[in-house]
Amino acid sequence: MASAETHSPAADHAGRERILERVRNALQAPAHQPPPTPAQPVFAPVTDPLERFQAECLANNTELILSTDEVATAAAIESVLDSLPAGEVFLQDSPWLRSVSRSFMVPRNERWSSEGAPSEGSEATVTECELLVALTGSIVVSSACGGRGASIVAPCHIVVARLEQLVPDLETALARVHEMGLDAKNSFVGLITGSSRTADIEKILVLGAHGPRRLVLVVQTGA
Amino acid sequence: MSAAAREFLRRAAEKSGDLAHRQVVRFNMDQYEAAVARGHSRFTDWEAARERCRQIKWEAVNHLDRYLLEFETKVQERGGHVFWAETSEEARRYVCDLAVARGVKKVVKSKSMVTEEVHLTPALEKLGMEVFETDLGEYIVQLRNEPPYHIVTPAMHLNRGQIRDLFKEKLGGGATDDPPELVAVARRTLRQAFFSAEMGISGANFLVADAGMVAITTNEGNGRLCTSIPRIHVVMTGIEKVVPRLQDLAMLWPVLATSGTGQPITCYNTLLAGARRAGEVDGPEEFHVVLVDNGRSQLLADSEQRDVLHCIRCGACLNACPVYRAVGGHTYGTIYQGPIGSVLTPHLRGLSEFQHLSYASSLCGNCTDVCPVKIDLHHHLLHNRRNAIRAGTHPGPERRAMRLFRWTMMDAGRFRILGGVARASIRLAHALGLGGTALDPMRAWTRRRAPMVLPSTSFRSLWRKTDGFR
Repeated sequence: MASAETHSPAADHAGRERILERVRNALQAPAHQPPPTPAQPVFAPVTDPLERFQAECLANNTELILSTDEVATAAAIESVLDSLPAGEVFLQDSPWLRSVSRSFMVPRNERWSSEGAPSEGSEATVTECELLVALTGSIVVSSACGGRGASIVAPCHIVVARLEQLVPDLETALARVHEMGLDAKNSFVGLITGSSRTADIEKILVLGAHGPRRLVLVVQTGA
Repeated sequence: MSAAAREFLRRAAEKSGDLAHRQVVRFNMDQYEAAVARGHSRFTDWEAARERCRQIKWEAVNHLDRYLLEFETKVQERGGHVFWAETSEEARRYVCDLAVARGVKKVVKSKSMVTEEVHLTPALEKLGMEVFETDLGEYIVQLRNEPPYHIVTPAMHLNRGQIRDLFKEKLGGGATDDPPELVAVARRTLRQAFFSAEMGISGANFLVADAGMVAITTNEGNGRLCTSIPRIHVVMTGIEKVVPRLQDLAMLWPVLATSGTGQPITCYNTLLAGARRAGEVDGPEEFHVVLVDNGRSQLLADSEQRDVLHCIRCGACLNACPVYRAVGGHTYGTIYQGPIGSVLTPHLRGLSEFQHLSYASSLCGNCTDVCPVKIDLHHHLLHNRRNAIRAGTHPGPERRAMRLFRWTMMDAGRFRILGGVARASIRLAHALGLGGTALDPMRAWTRRRAPMVLPSTSFRSLWRKTDGFR
């Protein structure tokens, strides 16, 4: 009998054992095994990762801005913020973003991740990311990038990244996720590809379903 | 004939004659097919991708106990709870008990077919809780008190005018039927729900054994909000959703997206390892995974049909099926529609009640051809037909008719005589002016079709006269 008061494994009813026993008995009869597949490539190799990444971003509605240095990065972020209604700007509390924010020309209504999650009414969130994936134009984030809400709550999510974070494909990205310990360290790891969307009404694409309508990525190529 | 079969036939007759409905389905399928064709062009070898996905799922399903335990251990190490539910009833009760114990008033749900399968929402509502489906399509059908029409696009059967009228009535929406405006109306309502709900319930697209993480795929971001803001996160999913390695997602994610919608990859592919950890900014305080058996372990024991558990619920076989296209999703009267539903439902809910679905197929094999994990769907429909006959659960009149047919076909003389009798009786009925009426021996054919004109001679006599058409 399931009891909400006692959710320790020991309190699990005998159903667990019965399911496992049924599974083990079922697997006594072997199923026909498909022949092993040669490990031929399934996707065309990514020859120029940056070029591919740019093309994919264009296709999936990620606004990609390349910046040369930190001042340019700050300017790129501000140009986006200026196009939005005034309001709370949530930022991941990291040394890099603290430093970038010092180059802002105009004081912003800043809320830092060290003060808690973004509020419901945040106009924009600014975070770093873990990796960029060229094959699909995707951005890998984790709980460490300002938390779970930082990439989903506001109408505009601005990501800052460095070119070195770009990897060619998903296999490399997932291998790196594991090598970097992201799966072990964080309760959340997410692959984001473009802004939130739906086509549930007559298959018409609408951006900004529940998450950000705009996804802006500033990739800084220099120091 | 079972009640479900009678209902299926009634709805199928009604829907296949509904031209407006067919137009809606055709429009959606054309859009889908164009997108999938573009999606396939991103693969240098789509067949190899399908083969790889099948290998991954084969490995997982045929070592299910090992991978489930690996997943469970990892989740528990991080303080998450794993509950194994043998039946729908147990799965429902676990979540209901938990919600009551935690004083939950409001629940937000991201799309999950398993929660539909166990009828979770009505159970929570009965306890006085407010439950919001947050996938837009799912929310629309919830407002209409309808089941999903399709496992991937639940509101595919509705046009924007119907959705405008629905929102006007239920949400105080405006007069516009502009899709972005309609999405905005739903977004406003559901945002309030996200920020005030105490519990978020999601399904899982994959359970990753080696990482101990739950993978959830959504385009709208509702899955992200459901699992980020409420203080309790419950994952409810089938035991067959486990995959061995994190690395497997490099293949499964793009293939699921391509087969589901034609996208290269879905917008949000999220991995969750449990509740918020010390030092993290946000996330739920509690994390529960409910692993539902509900007939799956029995299906596992059927080594012939075990690959049905490979299904990643992409919906491709529904879209490919000429029967689904003609009769639509609601006709099936099942949680899972189309070919996969026709194969799976008899296993989950009983062969005698749902064997008729094995015949809701032209056996064209299109479903098998498009399946990204290569489930042998149309042969499984044949397996279910055979199993029903072996079990003796198919209808008596059909059994008798087949016995007569067999007897007739076993002897050339009997075939000739009975064929002659049949032709003579049809001619007689037509001569009496009964053609196309209720007394026409060909009534089953003529009810919905123009009357047949019988040729003057039989095939046999033509053959004899022309010496084999030489």
